[in-house]
Amino acid sequence: MTAITGDLKLPKERGKAQAWAIQALPVVVRWVAALGGALLIFSILLMIKGTNPIDAYSDMWSSTFQRSASVEEIFTRMTPLVLAALAVAVPARAGLTNVGGEGQIIMGGVAACGAYLFLGDAMAPAVLLVAMIAASVVVGALWAGLAAVLRLAAGVNEAISTLLLNFIALDVLLFLIYQPWRESRTGQPATQELTDLAKLPVVAGTAVNVGIVVAVVLVVAVQVLLTRTRWGFRVSVAGGNAEAARRSGLKVAFLVLSALMIGGALAGLAGMIQFSGVEYKLRPSFGHQLGYIAFLACWLARHKPFPILLASFVFAALSVGGDSLQLDSGVPAASIYVLTALILIAVLGFTTPRKKTS
Amino acid sequence: MSLIVDVLSGGVRGGTSIMYAGLGETVSERSGVINLGTEGSMLVGALGAYAVGVETGNPWIGVLAGAAAGGLLALLHAYLVVRRGASQFASGLTLLFLALGLTSLFGASYVGQPVVGFDKWDVPLLSDIPFVGPIFFQQDPLLYLSYFMVPLVWFVLFKTRVGLLIRTAGERSDSLTVHGYSVRTWRMIAVTVGGCLAGIGGAHLSTAYANAWFENMVAGRGFIAVALVIFAVWSPFRVMGGAYLFGTAIALGPALQARGYEINQFLLDAVPFVLTLVVLTVLGKKTLSSSPAELKRVFENAPPAT
Repeated sequence: MTAITGDLKLPKERGKAQAWAIQALPVVVRWVAALGGALLIFSILLMIKGTNPIDAYSDMWSSTFQRSASVEEIFTRMTPLVLAALAVAVPARAGLTNVGGEGQIIMGGVAACGAYLFLGDAMAPAVLLVAMIAASVVVGALWAGLAAVLRLAAGVNEAISTLLLNFIALDVLLFLIYQPWRESRTGQPATQELTDLAKLPVVAGTAVNVGIVVAVVLVVAVQVLLTRTRWGFRVSVAGGNAEAARRSGLKVAFLVLSALMIGGALAGLAGMIQFSGVEYKLRPSFGHQLGYIAFLACWLARHKPFPILLASFVFAALSVGGDSLQLDSGVPAASIYVLTALILIAVLGFTTPRKKTS
Repeated sequence: MSLIVDVLSGGVRGGTSIMYAGLGETVSERSGVINLGTEGSMLVGALGAYAVGVETGNPWIGVLAGAAAGGLLALLHAYLVVRRGASQFASGLTLLFLALGLTSLFGASYVGQPVVGFDKWDVPLLSDIPFVGPIFFQQDPLLYLSYFMVPLVWFVLFKTRVGLLIRTAGERSDSLTVHGYSVRTWRMIAVTVGGCLAGIGGAHLSTAYANAWFENMVAGRGFIAVALVIFAVWSPFRVMGGAYLFGTAIALGPALQARGYEINQFLLDAVPFVLTLVVLTVLGKKTLSSSPAELKRVFENAPPAT
């Protein structure tokens, strides 16, 4: 935007609205062309598979947005995405790349399950839920903190370590549900289902768990934390130029550690909500790919909290739309990843003016 | 004795797809571009090779198709990060999802279809060597190809002009510009070649290792390859050793279970990742200093100098 403003020399007599329209027009055209291109390519692919794209889109639209159960499902699915995207956004402010949402979500779910199994259902439900939340937040923060410590102590880059920790977390999950926490030796590898007391309550009158409320509150909280607090300011200084921050007396190590741990805590909470509000059991596929999708949602939102809500909604709607696609058009649900990826490619590759690099 | 031979030959077999992908990632990262879409290139390579193998009945044509598919996906990554300035991590993950979606859309009809895959072929004489023979020379032809691919990649990267240009793009891109070469072009070439190699890795998985296609069959091997490249400090021969080590860790569990030992597979599956973290921690800043300079810039979120 700033680049465009700089290039345009507007006569003074023109109104502000007109000036804005002149600036916005190329942006709007670019967005429409990019998204239209994504839809068009997906249409062609559907046609190759012998599916009428217009029917597929209209079926997908009506069964995703015109059935209250589907709309509720969108809100349920966007909750962990919002939290895990915030888990990328906070460290990003400190100049850190957290690719570890996947593992932090899993460890959050594992911790919540551990707290549940340890305390049992003898506890008062409120105490049990609080314990599960606390466990997931702490373990998520520690899992991400591990990457921060490796970076600070040994210079291991956090993008690599968080990525590697994802797979270690997955193996921890599989280890637990195939042996010590397995419900029965013969059945599917999974933990026992949570009792009703340990399930998150739903928002009155809907089937959506209260996690969505928590997520929205935390979006606001993170926005305030990043833009209105001393810590947020310091983190962005450290993220902008660590050396300058260090010379002006900021404790960069503390800022790196705290930013990553806050991110891990948010992703851990996402895992708890996915476990206690949606899946109720740990299965091998627990939280599968939520972390990576959230990473992309955060990227799409350019690491800003409020746009993360919108990006997460879009991705959740696409994922519900994928299920509709399978039911209505007989195309595998995972095919919707094509559309998701095309939209990302369109928006991120083709909505900003080409960067000037040699 | 036979247990060790079993485990090691299983490690070589299982490690080969990871090795191809790791070699590809090495070429790509040497030019200064990390490609998390390697997993995706392996996926489209696996399906491409399988589908063309089913249609033509010739697994070698399948491998070519797999390499082309993997290369095309990587080319898209290269275009997005090199020409459009997209974030390397985000673009790589985006292409992983594109591959997941495409292979799910077009792969469904190939699930359960029989394919003429690569059969085991014992190398004359060499396969009779005790111990070494059964491990390295009683395998499939696509695996034998990797014995030539590793020195070839090493030779091209370190002994030819092309390799010098690729490495300079990743090391001192400004001096490449000074000498009138295009950093962008060399990066795009390197990333695409890397994707082709990952595609061959995927082809090995579907037409030699598993002889089957199913959704998401790569199951994280592409990410293991990314870890492997760091573990191997960007050297093709160490990629080979690391791939066998990681492959062996994965093959150990089933081999022990088949003999009635109680062992939890997932502790072994975690070994490659834990080992890579340990290596990174022990070597610490030393690893970082041996990584291509432009790649370091990517990790540190610094704007590219070019």
